[in-house]
Amino acid sequence: MNLFKVLDISASALLAERQRAEVVSSNLANAESTSTPGGGPYKRMHVVFGAHPMWNHGFAMTLASFTDMNAEGVRVDRVVQDGAPPIRRFEPGNPDADADGYVSYPAINPVEELVNLMGAARAYQLNASAVQSTKNMIQASIDIIKS
Amino acid sequence: MSWLDSAQGNLLARYLDLAATRQALITSNIANVDTPGYRTRDIDFHGELQRALQSDGEATTEPIVREVQGLIARPDGNNVSIDRESMLLAEVQLQFSVAEQLLKSDFKTLSMAINEGSSGS
Repeated sequence: MNLFKVLDISASALLAERQRAEVVSSNLANAESTSTPGGGPYKRMHVVFGAHPMWNHGFAMTLASFTDMNAEGVRVDRVVQDGAPPIRRFEPGNPDADADGYVSYPAINPVEELVNLMGAARAYQLNASAVQSTKNMIQASIDIIKS
Repeated sequence: MSWLDSAQGNLLARYLDLAATRQALITSNIANVDTPGYRTRDIDFHGELQRALQSDGEATTEPIVREVQGLIARPDGNNVSIDRESMLLAEVQLQFSVAEQLLKSDFKTLSMAINEGSSGS
């Protein structure tokens, strides 16, 4: 097992968690957006993570051992829209109001989004510690040469 | 076995190899802490080392990766425990540095034998 490849696994997780944080931030920012270029209110987004072997292409796969195939990185497989119906509020003066005077607001609960954001931040920290630990191991290997 | 190889050196190399493999699996578990359906994986570190001991540290067969039993799964099917993985992360790092220090002293002995021999005359 190549320790530099282990860094790639952590890097994939750092990237995925950052993307999750971006999507959550976008949900928070657009909690009150009643119009979008596509029409209708903003729709809440979710990220779906998937595990993927880090050696899934080319010649590297031929050389990878069975154990290597078991160590999987993570990536954002899809970003899906929440199917929850929009919240309708009676605001006749709003330019986005429909014929009955109701405005559709995105069904976003800021508390839920903040909890999700904290989860992403904690997972990011955990993966950053894993990077630090792997770095120490690589450094220790280099020290064998130095002795 | 050449004069450079020692049973201890081979065993330590195997130890470092296993620690690196374990590090990869722990890192993978941590990376997939939020992946639905992901199951925690690990190797039987002591069992693999035992196997290496029985064959003078020359066991080159791949360690067997298995799913860890007895962990509580979340509703999405993921059973990664952050506490378990954080603890193992620290443990493997220490194991690695222990083996590294021992290997260094192994080489130091060898280097001493070479150098002291030349300055003897």
